[in-house]
Amino acid sequence: MNGMSRVVIQTAGLRREYAMGGAVVHALRGVDLTVQAGEFLALMGSSGSGKSTLLNMIGLLDRPTAGRYRLEDVEVFSLSRDDLATIRGRRIGFVFQNFNLLPRYSTWENVALPLTYRGGEYRSEEQYKKAMQMLRRVGLGPRAVHQPMELSGGERQRVAIARALVTEPAVLLADEPTGNLDSATGKEIMSLLSEIHAEGKTIIMVTHDMSIARYASRVCTMRDGMLTEGEPAYVAG
Amino acid sequence: MSLGDLLRTSLRGVSANKLRAVLTMLGIIIGVASVIAMLALGNGARAAVESRFRFLGANQVQISTQMAFDDDELVTAGKELTYEDGLLMPEEVELVDRIDMSISADAKARFGRATLGIRISGVTASAVETIISAGEVQPVNRPDGEVLTLDDYLADGRFFTFNEVLEQGPVCVLGSQTATDLFGGDNPIGQTIWVNRNRCEVIGVLSELEFIDESRRYQGNPNENLFMPISTVIQMFYEEEPSVMITAFVSDESRMDEAKDQIKSYLRARHDIQPDANGEYEDDFNLTTRKDILGAQQEAANTFSLLLAAMAIVSLIVGGIGIMNVMLVSVTERTREVGVRLAVGARSRDIILQFLLEAMLISIGGGVLGVAVGILSIPLAASLNSGIALLEPGSIPLALIVSIVVGILFGIYPALRAARLDPIEALRYE
Repeated sequence: MNGMSRVVIQTAGLRREYAMGGAVVHALRGVDLTVQAGEFLALMGSSGSGKSTLLNMIGLLDRPTAGRYRLEDVEVFSLSRDDLATIRGRRIGFVFQNFNLLPRYSTWENVALPLTYRGGEYRSEEQYKKAMQMLRRVGLGPRAVHQPMELSGGERQRVAIARALVTEPAVLLADEPTGNLDSATGKEIMSLLSEIHAEGKTIIMVTHDMSIARYASRVCTMRDGMLTEGEPAYVAG
Repeated sequence: MSLGDLLRTSLRGVSANKLRAVLTMLGIIIGVASVIAMLALGNGARAAVESRFRFLGANQVQISTQMAFDDDELVTAGKELTYEDGLLMPEEVELVDRIDMSISADAKARFGRATLGIRISGVTASAVETIISAGEVQPVNRPDGEVLTLDDYLADGRFFTFNEVLEQGPVCVLGSQTATDLFGGDNPIGQTIWVNRNRCEVIGVLSELEFIDESRRYQGNPNENLFMPISTVIQMFYEEEPSVMITAFVSDESRMDEAKDQIKSYLRARHDIQPDANGEYEDDFNLTTRKDILGAQQEAANTFSLLLAAMAIVSLIVGGIGIMNVMLVSVTERTREVGVRLAVGARSRDIILQFLLEAMLISIGGGVLGVAVGILSIPLAASLNSGIALLEPGSIPLALIVSIVVGILFGIYPALRAARLDPIEALRYE
């Protein structure tokens, strides 16, 4: 860490409740989390622990039932759906377990997609330039005109990472980024994320795999909607 | 999203499934083609009426013998309309100040050694006025716009009188070319020529005439004419009294219905037609005015147009529902795509515009193809409407606007549905 501690994410008392089949599910029961710039945080926990809900909340895809959330200097939950979308497009990059690339769009077009939602800020040649820059960064420059169908799983995830980085976001959110990959490919993706972290990017990653979490600079564990610092007890012990 | 990005995105959405897009367009194509054909019929009817007006002025009543079928044979329903019915009409009918009628016969005209095969026109004393009012020919070397009088049309002598027509006078008036053919350079006035085996005195020669509308000049030389009183022609060439068609000129255009009633009473009296038990007359003649033609033509066009309008509305609604259906399917199929777009910063209006534009591209595509099909179907529409259909230029932008409106109307709901998707659920959608 570079010692300059700047807070990127700060949540206080985040709660999230769902009504599911008449019963109320408490996905988050008051989460306080502070993430400094340049941190690589692994969120661990078993399925149903609330780790994905927390990640969606941080990624502004979901809203809390109660609590506060500051992303950099903005109190984000007071904003409208469209304003949240705008912030997502500028400040947050997503990497999903199942890649979520658009079929029939070439690799570079997938990477450029977030730039098209910047209100005409980027002309199409600038979109291409920026996308190509990111593709080269993840080692896929020669694959620019291929379609996702023609790529391997690891390559697809690299494209997704390039897409997440193309807007130069404040934080990269990765939800089980290696979940659909074999372990060798998973390691390649993790070393890519480590490189990106080493370059100063803030990363929050959800995983249930201890060996993946070891790439992170900090590990937190979700359990029954509560966040605790450190690795899960059953693994740590 | 910039307009260029938006258009590219929507075009891709449509072209991802071309066959489906084209099939979806079908309803719009049929609807728009119907609109084009419908307006072409209306336009054609109007043009047809206008062209018929050239031959039937607003103050004219055309009177013809009523025909009827008798054992599949077309026969006169009662008495024939005779030239005498016409000749006496201006005297007897208050609102008719002039009539026009003609009959023709092929004959040989001879003077000295010159012999000429010619079509004889049997006309009334006001034939020259009729020529003037028809406005198709004018004396050569006369500037346009100058008001021409009877004298301008007569080169020499005079036209025949009412009495000469009444008394079957053996007189004739020659067209300028005919006069030259028979007499060379000599003065024909007062000379006697032979028409078949009848003697006939030349009393006048017309000026050299030309068609005003140059495109009609192929229709032959308007100066090869031999005019005789209609009564004389009938006496010379017809064994039985022939049917004639009479055009009556009404003195007051605003009293056409009254004039028609007067003509009816006059002809009923002459043809001895009595009312039946219900006070109805079974006339053996037909009266036609410009208003009648207009009405009949419009009625036919309106009936057909109504049919096409119904077809257009139904097709456009069905086409629109088809678009809505396909767009709903498309939104469902692409739920994940919507989720990704929302995750990378798309706002509601970006998603709405993307899917709305896709619906509009389909409907506009249908509109463009519909215009093409519509234009190609005009000859077909014409053949179903006695040959009258003419492309109405304004119908093309109208059809395109209609197809855009259909696209918006039926595309907005699927687009709104896409925009309201929950991003988390959309991203998880399988």
